[in-house]
Amino acid sequence: MTVTAAGPLLVAGIGELVTSADPHVTLVAYGLGSCIGLAAWDPRTKAAALAHFMLPTGQAGGPPVKFVESGFEAFLAGFAAAGGSIRRAQLKAAGGAAMLSVMVGSLDIGRRNAEAIALQVGRRGLQLSASDLGGSSGRTVQLSVADGRLHVKSVARSTVI
Amino acid sequence: MTMVQAPESILATVLATGLARAGDALGALSGHEVTIANPSVAACSPAEVIDSAGGPDAVVVGVYVGITGSLTGHALLLLPPEGARRLAGILLEGMRDPDAAQGGPDDGFELDPLEMSALQEVGNVTISACLNELGRFFPIPVHPTIPQAIVELAGAILDAVLLDLVAESDLLLAARTTFTINGDHVDGTILILPDRRSLTALAVAIAAVGL
Repeated sequence: MTVTAAGPLLVAGIGELVTSADPHVTLVAYGLGSCIGLAAWDPRTKAAALAHFMLPTGQAGGPPVKFVESGFEAFLAGFAAAGGSIRRAQLKAAGGAAMLSVMVGSLDIGRRNAEAIALQVGRRGLQLSASDLGGSSGRTVQLSVADGRLHVKSVARSTVI
Repeated sequence: MTMVQAPESILATVLATGLARAGDALGALSGHEVTIANPSVAACSPAEVIDSAGGPDAVVVGVYVGITGSLTGHALLLLPPEGARRLAGILLEGMRDPDAAQGGPDDGFELDPLEMSALQEVGNVTISACLNELGRFFPIPVHPTIPQAIVELAGAILDAVLLDLVAESDLLLAARTTFTINGDHVDGTILILPDRRSLTALAVAIAAVGL
């Protein structure tokens, strides 16, 4: 699967956060399985942030947004530093799949990640404007800094939210 | 926290013995000459593991097997779809109904149920052989779970299995190898991913044997 974008790509690796206010840039998180890509985009300033959250909770340390619980503030701070207002922002999330049915019963991390995102978002009086969560397919997401569109691609389908 | 590691050269030797046995088993199963090259074994970061499988956005065929018993964790066989299809085709030679439609749409990704089943068996035999060899260091055997094959983004498969491991350690154990059937080479990556407790137990068990 190839991600195509007119301008430069900024990649959020596992547990990483990328931000930009350059409309030529596309923010990408590749191969989300049970991980979640959380995107914020401010329609006024065109500032954008994309976090690649890994787990719902855990001991803080390591990559900045490895855990939803301890990394959510870093996500908000990074977005603000890029010039975004979280109150104006469109918040979108994708990922949280249960990739392997044989593991769902024991871990179910995808569902727990989605619940952790909902908790952090709701706790701050925010709302997701769109989401593509759950299921059993992996996803690659790309956030267009120019217009805030979030492309969600899997092996079988491609959609924009 | 420091992770106690078994010497990688010893693990490479142990896994090579397992893979040689797996090659023999697959050869007997298919009626073809199957060899699985001596693996290179290394402790890697999750990002390095994903890159070794072609990058997070690469579509791969993955066969997952859980590890239980004296060691606990996860194991994966990752193959590129085109290579996986060739591997399945060779193994299934003469076993198909010649009048039946074969293969999924020719997009390089989809594999039919029979091909997936064959690859699931390749993963099962290969990984189980490695686990059997690792189990020789322990009084209680190491058991594989039922295998599951999927065609997915490499990053997505790996984050599903890595997540509970990287919560406690940022280093993983990966073995890379090549399957050769009748002279046709297919690169594959075998990931034996014991959890931290198991890596420590393995290092202690190997030291006790005096290797």
